[in-house]
Amino acid sequence: MRVYLASVATDGKANSHALARPPVTFSFVQPTSVEAALRAVGTPGSVAIAGGTDLLLDFDNQRIAADRVVSLNGLPWKHLTRAGGRLVVGSTLPLRRIELDPRVAVDLPGLYQSVHAVGGVPLRHRATMGGNLVRASPASDLLPVLLALEATVHIVGAYGSRASSLDDFLRGSRSVDLAPGELIESVSVPYPAPSAYVWQRVRPAKDISQVGVAVARVPGAGHWNVALGGVVPRPIRSPSAERHLTRLRPKAEEITRAAEAASEGVAFATDRRASEAYRHLLVSVLVRRALDKAIPPEAPS
Amino acid sequence: MSQPIRLTVNGTDLERSDLDDAERLLDTLRWRLGLKGTKEGCRTGDCGACTVLVDGESTLSCLTLTREVEGTRITTIEGVRGEPAGPNVLTAFGAEPALQCGYCTPGFVMALTGLLQEEGSTHRTSNLVDELEGNLCRCTGYRSIIRAIGALGDELR
Ligand code: FES
Ligand code: FES
Repeated sequence: MRVYLASVATDGKANSHALARPPVTFSFVQPTSVEAALRAVGTPGSVAIAGGTDLLLDFDNQRIAADRVVSLNGLPWKHLTRAGGRLVVGSTLPLRRIELDPRVAVDLPGLYQSVHAVGGVPLRHRATMGGNLVRASPASDLLPVLLALEATVHIVGAYGSRASSLDDFLRGSRSVDLAPGELIESVSVPYPAPSAYVWQRVRPAKDISQVGVAVARVPGAGHWNVALGGVVPRPIRSPSAERHLTRLRPKAEEITRAAEAASEGVAFATDRRASEAYRHLLVSVLVRRALDKAIPPEAPS
Repeated sequence: MSQPIRLTVNGTDLERSDLDDAERLLDTLRWRLGLKGTKEGCRTGDCGACTVLVDGESTLSCLTLTREVEGTRITTIEGVRGEPAGPNVLTAFGAEPALQCGYCTPGFVMALTGLLQEEGSTHRTSNLVDELEGNLCRCTGYRSIIRAIGALGDELR
C-alpha cells in the first residue's frame, strides 16, 4: 500500500493542490469607482468577480482563464432600496442580506423562498444576485422567480446605462446579453407581489434543483405569471399555463388545466438528476404546489 | 507576488507580502499561517468544512479570494473562543459529543457561531438545523449534532 502524504509546510512553500492541478494565476484589482471598474473590465483579459462562489469553480476546472480579476466588491452596489413600487437589489449585495431583510419575506415571498434555496448560509454570505444573473445557469433557483416577477436588469457601460427585461437578457445556457465592458448594477422587481417558488431535488439539502417553479402576480399582467427552471437552455415563462390563471383565486379546474399545460412544448434535459419525462411530471406537480402556496387566502366575509 | 495585504486573524494583525493574488483564504490560513484547524473537504462549496468567520459572517474559505477579505477580521476554529457565542458552541459540541472523526466539526462550529451572532436570524432549533444545511458530516448521522444545536437553541434565546 502506498500512503501519500501532502507535504505539511507552514512556510508557504508547499501546497498539496499545486501538485494536483496547474495553479490558477491572475492578478487582482478592486476598483472603488464605477468608472474605474468599467475601464478595468473593458480591458481584454479581464473578468469581473462578485461573490466568486460559481466563477472560482470555473477557474479551478480550467473552464476559464483570465489575466486579471476585477472585484466589484469595492463599488456602491450593495443596496436594497424601495422606490416607485419597485424593490431594487444592488448586483453585489450578498444573497443573505436579501433574506434577512424583514420585509422581503412578506412583500415578495417567492423571492425570499428562492434566495433561501441557494446553497447554505456561508455561501449566501458571498453569492450575489448579479453573479447569479451573469452566470445564467439553467438550474438557477433565482431566475424563475425573477422571470415570474418580470424583473428588470439595470446595466452600465462606458456609454452610459440601459435597462433590459430579464427575459431579453437571458440568451441561453450560461449566456446573457451583456457586452464586454458592461456590468449589472442592479435588478429591480415590482412589490408587493403574491408569489412562491418551489423546487424538487434528489436530496433536499445541498443539491441543484431538478426543476423549480415560480409563480407571481404582478400589476398589469392580467394573470399569474408562471416560470420554470431546470429547463434547457434557460429558464422560461409558461404562457400555456398562464392562460388558465387570469383570476387572482383561480378555480380548482383552472389550476389543474394550468398544471397539465405548463410544460407543453418545453424541452428539459435528461441528466444524472432526472429524465426529461420525470421533469415534465414534476412541473405539473410543482405548478399546483406553487399556486397553493401563493394564492392569497379568501378575505373573511 | 503582489501588494502587501493586511488581515486580522484571530485577533492578531498581520501584514503579508508573500500571497498570490489568486490565493484562496483556505490556503492562506492552512499553508501560509499554519492554521490547520480549518479543513478542506471538497473545495467546491459543497461541504462547509472550510467555514470561517469574516467580520463575524460565516464564509466558505475555499471559494473566497484572500484579497477580497483584505482589512477584515477573520476568525478560525483556533480563535473561536474569542467570539461571543464561541465558548457555548464548543461546550455544546463537547458535552454531546457531537462528533466522531471531527473533520467536519470546525466548519459546524464556525457556521453555528456565526448564525447565533447574526442579527435578524432566528435561533429556534429547527431554524438553526435548517440553516446548517451547508455543512456535511460523514460520520455522526447528524443526530448528535442536532442534539447539540438543540441545547444551544434553548439556552441562547
Ligand atoms: S472545502 Fe469549502 S465547502 Fe468544502
Ligand atoms: S465527525 Fe466525521 S465528518 Fe463529521
